[in-house]
Amino acid sequence: MTDLKMKILVVDDFSTMRRIVKNLLRQLGYENIEEAEDGAQAYSKLKNGGYGFVVSDWNMPNMDGLEMLKKVRSDPELKDLPILMVTAEAEKEKVITAIQAGVNNYIVKPFTGEILKEKMDKILERLQATK
Amino acid sequence: MNDEMEEIILEFITEAEESLDKIEPSFVELEQKGEDKELLNNIFRSMHTIKGAAGFLGFQSIVDVAHSSENIMKKLREGEISLSKPQMDVILKSVDMLRLLLGHLKEKDGVEENVAPLVQELGDALKASISGSGKVKDPVNPNAAAAPEVKNPKPAPVVETAKHNPEVISQAAPEPVKITEPLKAPEDAAHKTAEAAKPSAEIHDAEQKQHEAAPESRDPASQKPKETAQNLRVDVNRIDKVMDLAGEVVLVRNRLLNISNYFDFKYAEDPMAEILMETVSFLDRVTSDMQLAVMKIRMQPIQKVFSKFPRLVRDISANVQKDVELQIFGEGTEVDKTVIEHIGDPMTHILRNSIDHGIESAEERVAKGKPSKGKIVIKTYQKGTQIVIEITDDGKGMDVNRLKKKAIEKGLITEDEAQKMTEEAAVDLIFLPGFSTKEVATELSGRGVGMDVVKTNISLLNGYVEVTTQKDIGTSFKISIPLTLAIIQALMVEVGGAKYAIPLSPIEETLKVAKKDIKDITGQNVIVIRDKVCPLFELNSLIGIGSNGSGDLDYKYLIVIAIGDKKFCIAVDKLVGQEEVVIKTVDGVDTTSSFILGATITGDGKVVFILDVASMSRNLLGITKG
Repeated sequence: MTDLKMKILVVDDFSTMRRIVKNLLRQLGYENIEEAEDGAQAYSKLKNGGYGFVVSDWNMPNMDGLEMLKKVRSDPELKDLPILMVTAEAEKEKVITAIQAGVNNYIVKPFTGEILKEKMDKILERLQATK
Repeated sequence: MNDEMEEIILEFITEAEESLDKIEPSFVELEQKGEDKELLNNIFRSMHTIKGAAGFLGFQSIVDVAHSSENIMKKLREGEISLSKPQMDVILKSVDMLRLLLGHLKEKDGVEENVAPLVQELGDALKASISGSGKVKDPVNPNAAAAPEVKNPKPAPVVETAKHNPEVISQAAPEPVKITEPLKAPEDAAHKTAEAAKPSAEIHDAEQKQHEAAPESRDPASQKPKETAQNLRVDVNRIDKVMDLAGEVVLVRNRLLNISNYFDFKYAEDPMAEILMETVSFLDRVTSDMQLAVMKIRMQPIQKVFSKFPRLVRDISANVQKDVELQIFGEGTEVDKTVIEHIGDPMTHILRNSIDHGIESAEERVAKGKPSKGKIVIKTYQKGTQIVIEITDDGKGMDVNRLKKKAIEKGLITEDEAQKMTEEAAVDLIFLPGFSTKEVATELSGRGVGMDVVKTNISLLNGYVEVTTQKDIGTSFKISIPLTLAIIQALMVEVGGAKYAIPLSPIEETLKVAKKDIKDITGQNVIVIRDKVCPLFELNSLIGIGSNGSGDLDYKYLIVIAIGDKKFCIAVDKLVGQEEVVIKTVDGVDTTSSFILGATITGDGKVVFILDVASMSRNLLGITKG
């Protein structure tokens, strides 16, 4: 039921992390994956359209994950775009802020492919249900 | 999959090392500036990112060290503790440890470091500063320190939510560090908040206002669709292969140019000859462009090297109880990768030397009427086809007579030589192997190697060092390195029937002189150029091929070489022309004593030696022979 052709944007300033996440997504069968180095780059890519899902890091230079999230949610074209935020365990208090800002879910580093799949599926299921 | 994993690990090592390189100067800056939020943020972020990626790759030691270090950074960032020197020391130690761990990963030596003592030390440092500042009530578990934040009125939204939706807090915030369990909680929370989105709208607004009130710069930056440079990580070997091939193309182009000239001359009437000329000249242009483009791939900002220096200067000067400030200019200057790799050591050496021997103690400086804090300035800029790096200190300068005396004592020169030696030549004595002005080499400058390493390393880059020094004003080291190392412009000359290439950059001019104008002063040939006496050397005797009838010519061609402030002439039989040559190293030729830099293949397909004028300058002029 999950659309494996869906275009996914992986946002992280650390290229190794982007690669790890990309690798996990590929293992899950997703092929159409793009990358962005920070929130600003991500936002401009998202503006070009066609994305079905975003996996974003929190802590990034220029525009961090939260700022990007807020921008996306306040953008009429993008406001429903599912965003999964990647955080570290020590930042849990921030999650509340992210939830307020409208993040769909969060995932704690380090995570496995299964956890990632579980999270993504849940988000997408819920999204389908609300449609 | 295994290959993929290996690649990811390699990428991680490189990227983590780069991150450490980037943040290292920030620590020193932080110490100077006090608590700068932006700096703290950057450092925190890097540690955090390294930790995150290491976690995925299962490098637990790295995770542990980065985590403990990050804990301190976090408290600093949140203003809960303030920065102290012991703290900084232990954080820097953790950076060193991370480097060490990354090094082991790179070497794949399987060596395990025991990080527990350092993690303990980091934890202790955090505890000490927390109890010192008394800002946080619960110093026992640094992990749990996340929870008290809810009480902290600063992040307003959190408190607000606590009123609106207490459940969220209870479920998400004070959860233990376990990973699997809390994953579910926020999901429900997300759900609830989504439903409860309306009541929290004002928070949203308030927050946004807060953002708007804050520096406006954020928004415009994000609104403009920023064109960020796309990067691609490529194995250096591949680039070098391209570089090599580009070099070969240059050689073939040179040959083609020769051949087409011949056809153009011989078949001037034939229109095809003209087309050939046109085509070849197009190839000529494209080749030059390609060469430049390939060269650029290998260029990196020299900052990569410089970023280590603030820390280095901090550590060295602390060690010898001196107060030294380092200023760096032009760190954006781009240089060849080889330069990046080889310039670090000699510069480190010069810096050590300046702090150890150059900069005086604070008392001495005050007594001399100088500011008590010593200063070292590194300046980098491009000058023509050269990259120049100047390292200047405001210390006591070098004592020429003392240098000479030491060199005599060490048996490096004779009394007689010392007498004849110019001041510049005497300063250059510091570069002689086995020379050190302090009887007991200190822990720092010692290390069993002297400044000779500086010279050797820099001449490996086809560069040269000049030293200028002034008593009580300071000493300046000026390093000049050619922009590119592989392909150079050269002047082709002929002596005794054989061709040689001389790198064009140090050539100041060429002259044709009558033999009678060459004078002999106490056994040294000289020539007077515009009222200035310039030492002259015959190329054939320099490279030991003996004279080959060239002595019979009435005229000589002189090549005037200027390296730094030194000038000398090389006499040859004939000037052939200018050519772009690709330097190939020659196995079995002792490049230190033979004045041969390498070899190249010329346009007519012959192998020709490239002369090393820098080493000529060193060996011929360092001590002018009587």
